[in-house]
Amino acid sequence: MSRKLHSTIAVSIVALFASVGVAEAATTVKFWHSFNKSSGQALDKIVQNFEAANPDIDVEAEFIGNYNDIIAKLQAAIPARRAPDAVILEVTRYGLFANNNILTDLTPYFDADPLKADLYEYAQEVGVISGKNYIVPFNSSTPVLYFNKDIFERAGLSADTPLKTFDEILTATKTISEKLGSEGISGIAAPGQFARWGLVMANDSELVDPKSGEIMLDKPNTIEAYQWMASLVHDNKVASPDGVTDEDNGRDAFLARKVGIMFNSTGNYGEAKKAIGDNLVVRAMPCNKACSVPIGGAGIGIMATSSKEVQDAAYKFVSYAASPEANAIWFAATGYLPINKKSGGLPVAKEALATQPGIDVAIDSLPNAHGRARTTVVTWMRTTEYKMWQAMALGQQKVDETMKDFAEQTRAEEKRVSN
Amino acid sequence: MAMLRKLTPYLFVAPLMIFITVFTYIPILASLNLSFREWNFLSPDMPFVGLRNYEQLLSSRELWNSLWVTTLFAILSVPLRLGLALVIANYLIRESVHSRLLRGALFLPSVTSTVSIAVVFSWVFSTDYGMVNAILGMLGLGKVQWLQDPHLALWVLIFVNTWKQLGYDIVIYIAGLQAIPQELYDAASIDGCRRLHVFRRVTLPLVMPATYFLLVISVIEAFQVFTIVNVMTRGGPAGATDMLVNLLYEIGFVLFDIGRGSALAVMLFVLLVALAILKSRIIGRKVHYEA
Repeated sequence: MSRKLHSTIAVSIVALFASVGVAEAATTVKFWHSFNKSSGQALDKIVQNFEAANPDIDVEAEFIGNYNDIIAKLQAAIPARRAPDAVILEVTRYGLFANNNILTDLTPYFDADPLKADLYEYAQEVGVISGKNYIVPFNSSTPVLYFNKDIFERAGLSADTPLKTFDEILTATKTISEKLGSEGISGIAAPGQFARWGLVMANDSELVDPKSGEIMLDKPNTIEAYQWMASLVHDNKVASPDGVTDEDNGRDAFLARKVGIMFNSTGNYGEAKKAIGDNLVVRAMPCNKACSVPIGGAGIGIMATSSKEVQDAAYKFVSYAASPEANAIWFAATGYLPINKKSGGLPVAKEALATQPGIDVAIDSLPNAHGRARTTVVTWMRTTEYKMWQAMALGQQKVDETMKDFAEQTRAEEKRVSN
Repeated sequence: MAMLRKLTPYLFVAPLMIFITVFTYIPILASLNLSFREWNFLSPDMPFVGLRNYEQLLSSRELWNSLWVTTLFAILSVPLRLGLALVIANYLIRESVHSRLLRGALFLPSVTSTVSIAVVFSWVFSTDYGMVNAILGMLGLGKVQWLQDPHLALWVLIFVNTWKQLGYDIVIYIAGLQAIPQELYDAASIDGCRRLHVFRRVTLPLVMPATYFLLVISVIEAFQVFTIVNVMTRGGPAGATDMLVNLLYEIGFVLFDIGRGSALAVMLFVLLVALAILKSRIIGRKVHYEA
């Protein structure tokens, strides 16, 4: 009995040390991201699949908050030496980290990775600054037009109502507001910043030229687009002002079936589908003067401070996250754009395309999708744009004067940061 | 032994001194140092730029707008808070179940999370889906853009801030009122003073220590208000509620300009110290701590 007991203890001890040894052998990659709810569940599945295929790598994925929260927390964590190894960074705001050598130059990894050839052209370009690759896209998006078919029908509008130009959209929103306003239903949600950028591009202009870096805030087509957007709230009163001061309010009202039309990221497809069900219709963004949409979303960067071993492990995860298998799961669960050309051919994606009408709209927009400027001044411009938009949409300032002033301020800020 | 006896008091205060030094004085000095430098949290270098951060701030319209908005907030909210608190405390000083319950109810917001309060009031004052406009609608009145009208948004913030802080002010005033000797009221009564006269000549002067304390605290709080602003308006609409600390947060943690953010923090610190001195010179002399 005693011998048996001793043998059992000895075996247990050996097993314990062996398991500790295995645990120590695993490389841990701390990964900060911005996905919760259904997209968080999809990411968890991707992480689990990766860990099953790579038992020597442990990915500790942690939801931090939205893109702004991640940037704020990362900035505090870096001097405190508590930064993660890999992090999701929004596509117009990773430049700050790249320019300060915080992010690893992924060019050697990316160039040697067969994955690169499988990625769409936009996905290959979106992580590049000055010829170096700093992030690999994970959740890419374009804005799309969502509408609620039930609200359209109740307002006497057909689901085939043309929504290609600003005038056509305004006409539809006016009809909804006139017919259903007494029920607390608005025609359209005030466009959020990503959608505003898209509507400027739909009017054949830009905020900042992505190639030359020229500030285009005071170009006639940009001003015209803002005049139209502001008129939705102030002059025509077809959009609730609640969505001007907090753009999430507009989205929430659409999900609560209180708004007819919403411009928003294709990444909202999953949530919208869950809330609106079969009444959700997705269309491409309008082509008022041009068919052009911005690419949004984020990619995964790897911190330069992590050890080479951890960086290698982190890149394996980054590469897996952009693989057809992972990307198909992600696309089907969220509606974010496929970044891998092979994703669409996998059963998960095929099923999503067959059963989730509208999920393919963003894919069809890809030929018109363009990367946005990511110069240092873009962060300042995006922060200030909220104030300018509020002043214009709430009728406190004239659009043309505000945009001209905004352009001047942005140029001055660009000069200040470049000195 | 004698040496140890001499050291004992210092050893008792040492933990607190270390705590204050590490978490108050060192950050203040670090902030002062950073205000003369250019840094974004990330770059290894922090080049010395002299007074450039201060110059840029003083020449920016955002600073002057924030200073104006914050001053307006303080001017409007502090007297409102103190006036209401004194009137309510005067009523609640009587010991009864009713007044105890009311004291507890009024104090409750002071110990409630500011973020929760701000989120709830954001919905209460929502233009299309808010409770206030729903009630106005039932009365046949039109919708009011509470958080979108630049003039109203500031008043909404003042209301929410007052609602949150009022309970604390009332408790301090009740303590102040309870410290006033009853004989003074009896004497005034014998002299035939009317209630308003008693309030003006007896209560008000003798409650001055509490008023002075609350004035100092509430002015500092008014100049440092952040959570309510950040959750309810984010400084909007169009900068109408962009208080100093909200601007500081934006410069430091959205635009990552730590040098300018620190310069603004230093300016706010100097402003608050100057205000404290001013209050001490103007009002401090009128405060009587003995009945």
